[in-house]
Order: sequence, then C-alpha cells, then structure tokens
Amino acid sequence: MLTFVRFLFAFTIGSHILLVSTSIALILLISISEFLAIRMHDPVYEALARRLSRVFVISFGVGTASGIVMAVELVGLFPSFMTLVASTGAMVLLYAEISAFFLEVLALVLYVYYWNSFRGRFSHWAVSVFVVVGTLASAVFITMLNAWMNTPNGFDISAFVSSGFKTVTGVEPFAAFLTVSTVSQVFHVLVTTLFAGSMVIGAYFAYWFVRSRDAGDKAMYSRALKILGAIAIVTIILAGISGSEEMGNLLVNQPLKYAALDGNTVPGTNLPDRFFGSIVNGSYVGGISIPGMQALLAKFETGTSMLPGLSQFPANTWPPLLVSTTFNVMTVGGLAVGLFLFVFFISFVRKGRPYESRRLLYIWIPAAVLAMLVYQLGWATDEVGRQPWIVYNVMTVAQAANTSDALLVPGVIIVLFYLAVVPATFYFYSRVFQGSKKEAPA
Amino acid sequence: MNGIFEVNYAAFSVFAALLVTEIMGAVGLLIAWPSRSKVLDYIVPVWEVTGTFGALWVVTGDFAYPGLLVPVSEIFTPLLIIFLILWVARSASIAFAEFITKRGWLGEKQLFKSYAVATLVLGLVVLVLLSALVGGQGVSLASGSFSIISWATAGSVVFVVGTLLLAVGLAPVLFDLSALRNLVLPLTALGVVLSVLSYWLMSSGLLTPWMSVPVLLTLVIAALYAWPRTSKIVTNKAVFLAVLSVIIFSLQSLVYPKAVGQALPIDAVTTTGAMADAFFSMTVVGGLLLALMLSLYVMVAARGPNGPSL
Repeated sequence: MLTFVRFLFAFTIGSHILLVSTSIALILLISISEFLAIRMHDPVYEALARRLSRVFVISFGVGTASGIVMAVELVGLFPSFMTLVASTGAMVLLYAEISAFFLEVLALVLYVYYWNSFRGRFSHWAVSVFVVVGTLASAVFITMLNAWMNTPNGFDISAFVSSGFKTVTGVEPFAAFLTVSTVSQVFHVLVTTLFAGSMVIGAYFAYWFVRSRDAGDKAMYSRALKILGAIAIVTIILAGISGSEEMGNLLVNQPLKYAALDGNTVPGTNLPDRFFGSIVNGSYVGGISIPGMQALLAKFETGTSMLPGLSQFPANTWPPLLVSTTFNVMTVGGLAVGLFLFVFFISFVRKGRPYESRRLLYIWIPAAVLAMLVYQLGWATDEVGRQPWIVYNVMTVAQAANTSDALLVPGVIIVLFYLAVVPATFYFYSRVFQGSKKEAPA
Repeated sequence: MNGIFEVNYAAFSVFAALLVTEIMGAVGLLIAWPSRSKVLDYIVPVWEVTGTFGALWVVTGDFAYPGLLVPVSEIFTPLLIIFLILWVARSASIAFAEFITKRGWLGEKQLFKSYAVATLVLGLVVLVLLSALVGGQGVSLASGSFSIISWATAGSVVFVVGTLLLAVGLAPVLFDLSALRNLVLPLTALGVVLSVLSYWLMSSGLLTPWMSVPVLLTLVIAALYAWPRTSKIVTNKAVFLAVLSVIIFSLQSLVYPKAVGQALPIDAVTTTGAMADAFFSMTVVGGLLLALMLSLYVMVAARGPNGPSL
C-alpha cells in the first residue's frame, strides 16, 4: 500500500505541475502581450491577450481545483507529515500561499470580467501584473515548503525525533521562509517552470503557425512565439546558473543526495562528471565520464574540494540510485533544448525571423516535449533523491504515510479521473482559443 | 472564546455560503435552463472565489488543529477523495463551459449541466461530512473509522433534507425568480423546522438559545422577499451572501465547544504558543490584503461587468 500511496501522490503532482507550468507561462504571456499592445498600438497583441485571457480562466479553474486536491491529499495520504507541517513554520508558508491565491483570484476576476471597465488601459494592464504576482507568489511559497522538506528548520528536531514524533518544541514559525536551501531552490524552480511552460505553449503556436494559411492568424502566432522564445531563452540561461547553484547547495546541505545524483560511490577530489552509467557492486560502470567537471559545475573551481560519496552514508539511507539516470536525462535534455534555443537566438540576432521559420518551428514541437520531460524529471530527481525521507533526516515517507486499504479504490478513481481531465483541459484550451478567432480584430 | 476557531469557522461560513448559492444555481440550471442567464450572471464570476475560500478553510483548519489531521485522515479520507473528484469535475466543467462555442454535440449546455450535477452531488457529500462533524453519526473516534450505514440515522437524514429544502426555498430570492415568490416562505419555514428537528434528533444539547439567531435571520430573508416592496433588499446578491454567511456563522454552537456528537472538545485540540501567534499575524496580514483587493473589486465592479469582448 505504501508504494501505491507514493505512486498516487507522484502521479497527482506530476499532473498538477503540467497544468501549473503552462498556467504561469500563460499569464506572463498575456501580461506582456497586453503591455506591447498598449505601447505599440498593435491590435494583434491586443487580440492575443484577450483570447488568451479566456484560456487562462480554464487554466486557473482546473489548476486551482487540482491544487486543492493536492492540499487535501497531503492530509489523507501523509497525515503524520501534515501534523508536523501544521505544528511548525511550514504551515505559515501554506497560509501565505492562500493569501497569494486570493490576490490571484480577485485580480483575475477583475482582469477578465471587467476588461473594459477601467478608465486607463495601463490600469487594466496593471491588474494583470497582480495576477502574475499572485500566481508566482503561490509557486514561490509552495516551493519554499519543498525547500523546508529538504532542509527543515524552525523547531527542535532532535527533541521531536527522540519523543517519537509526539512533541514539537522550540518552534520559530517564520524561520521556514528562509531555510538554507530556499533561495537556490525557489530560483531554480521558478525559472524552470517558466521555461517548461513557455516551451509547451510555444509548441502550440508553432504547430498552428506551420498549419495555418491565414495571414492574420500567422501574425498572431508569430507574435506569441516571439515573446515565448524570449522567455525560454532567458529562463534556460537562468536555469543553467540556478541549477549549478542548486548542486552547490546540495553539496553542503544534502551531500547524500549529491553523491547519488552524480553517481559518486566513494568520496574524492577531482571527480569526473558521469553520464548514463550505472552503479554495480559499489562501482560506477559504463557511460561517459568528463574528468574534473563535478567541482567546476557545482563550485566553479577545479578539483581541490573533497566531494561526497555514497560510502560515507549507511546504505539504508541511500535514495534509489535511479536518480542518477533521471538527473542525467534532465541535464542532457536541458542542454539539448538549450542548444535549440541558442540557434533560435542566433537566428534572431542575425536579423532572421526564427519565430516564422518553418524548420525551427518544426523542431520547437519535440523540443517542448523534451523541455516538459526535463522539468518533470527535475521534480522526480528532487523528490526521489530525498528518499527514504519525506522531511530530510527527520521523518521517512513510511513513517508519514496512511497505508489504509480504504485508499485503493478512490485512489485509482483519482488516477483515472486525472487521465481524462488533463488532456481535456488542453483540448479546451485550444478549442476556446480557436473558437474566439472569428470575432478577433486581428 | 477561541479566536483561532472563530477565524477558521468564519472562513468556513463564507465558503459554505458561496457553496450553498452555487447549489441554488445548480438546481436552477437543471430545472429552468431557459432562465439560465439569471443564474449564470451570478455563478460565473463567483465559482472561482468559492474554491479560494474552500482552500482558506482547509488551510486554516490544518493550521488550527494539527492534532486532528491523523484522525481526520483515518476517518474521512475515502469521503474526502470523492469530494475532490467532484470538485475537479465541477471546476473543470464550468471553466470549459464559460467561453466555449458550440461544435458537434458538446456545447455550453452540456457542460453547465455537468457542472450542476457535480455541484449537487458535491453538496450532498459535504452535507454528509458536516452532519457527521456535528452529530458524530457514523464516526468512531476510537477506531478511526466512518460507516455510512451507521451515519444513516433519522437525525442525519433530516439534516440533509432540511438543508436542501432551505437551499431550494431561498434560491428564488437569490435569483429573483418572482414567479416562485409564494413558495419561498413556506418552503423556507419547513426547511428551518426540519433543520432544527435534525439538531434535536442528533443531540438535544445542540439546541441552545443562540439557535434563535440563524432561525430568525433565515425567516426574515424569506419574509422580506414575500413583499415586492421589501424584496429588493434581499435580492441584492452581496446582501444575500453576507446574511447567509452570518446565518452559517451563527450556527457555530453546533460544533463549539464540542464537535462530533459532543465527543471532541475543540479548545483541547487547538494550536497554541508561537504557532497561535503566527496564525493571528498571518490572518491580519492576509485579511488586509483581502480587504484591499475586495475594495478594488467593489470599485471596479460598480462600473459594471464588461468581459473580454473580442
């Protein structure tokens, strides 16, 4: 039953972040489009923002419902974990998230349903900024909670563990806002979320640009791609920087996870970066090795630091070593999409129009699938890499989970339901966006 | 007085009031589709806010009663998962319905009706859950289980019927369906009688003098709508929603100081110390933000809705 509980939550969060990443990129695209419409007096950008705002309502509605599913599921599936959360500052983060949520929903209602009720165009656009801030703040607070799970603080951990999880003392409720991993993790998650979301939405516009014969439609799609291309290029660069920052943080604060990700069986200096090998009988075999790269990527130095290895830790605390592979696919996949975006950028710098190049747009579509895969694997690597702990070095998943058999049937129904709802949501995004085409001024 | 309970219960009151108005709308969409515009003008901007208050209630509840999370998980998880499925179904179908254009068999009518069905069933699940929290029927705190068969007592069933009757009785007020004006007072009065009876059947200790407040307020709404001259007061959506929230808030004696059939003392399970202080600080900051956004909303909404016309 424990495996099912793990699977159920992993499946739910995997589906949820698919919706959330597109939602975050979508509202940023809407806000930038409206801003450009006002600044450039461009009716195509105006129509793009208006049509996408309808799509965002779907995105918000389903994403919010899915967020509530996760909030309640956490109580149902991991009650002991949530009891700890509710007794410490981690709960304050969830409460802060709800405030961000209110900002987002009230601003969204004003933005969409009262579009023409504002006296100045910039006033209306400013409301979209509130929606963006609310949406991003929700993502920030929930990522802060995850950072707290990786590097818990704000309570007496040893007293809690020695009391058999009964007594929480020494609580500092606001400490959870800034754990040792918060800054690097929030930075990395935000940019990668925007990166994956902008690539996926861009794939939609790339597909329709290539398919469409209508000049007005093409003008709209190319403008969307111009904005999304810029977001993707900026965020992939920041993802590289923040990813390196994250590895540096793991090195100090979660050395076991670091060792598992990089496949270090023993500690050492000047260790190579390894890709796609496997650990057999305590040694890393096969794959590709780049000598001396590990310290350079994690610490921007060459070979002097002692890097951690799995042998320093009891084997029963190791995460599944599959994380080394998911980490490698994530890294190489991210580099591949980065290479594509580099070509896209060079084409733009050389006065080309990459957002109208059929060849590049054909490549964008599989690149977007890869970007989303990279993003999902990032989460999987982070979560599986923390195993067996749900709260690092405090509480294991097995100690936190509700393993009642009564969860099985409703859990299976939830999985089946998500399998229907997620594709339906993307179908309705498209249908609502295309359905409003005839009325558009573009 | 338990301030943390009051905040959490206030969040519940607004959420429940919004959900009840959605249930009223759902009934309208199912039985009076031709007059849907009266219902949709209200439901379409509001359904997103309902979810947000629902999330506020859940999160403040987690914050307020950390020691209850394990028993709640053991007792109610299957019921909560059914609630979640219906919640996503309800949110997805109305979000899809809002801006869709008809193509093939699938159009706004089918999607709004799916929303209505999901909302009604959701309402039933919530009522089962609430009646269990009030009367404790079907709940075993000792073994951490819930049995729907043990739940189905006279008190629980009358609770569900009485509440639904109140929703049906007051729906014409919210949507100003003057053709049904004569039904409002008798149906609402019957709903009040059945609701009070259900509390008595669950436990005679639930009937305190405070109960006269929600009873009177409910009857006043129905009575004001009976006369065209006074009906304008209660057909104002904001007034209706505010009074409904106050009615639900004034029903707090059903679960405080003791809930689940008088077996669970709330004060004993409420968070204390630094976390209680943090709860209040966050409530003040969040409350100010909410008040600011609501002021902006009221200011803009006063100019009238005008969506993203294309």
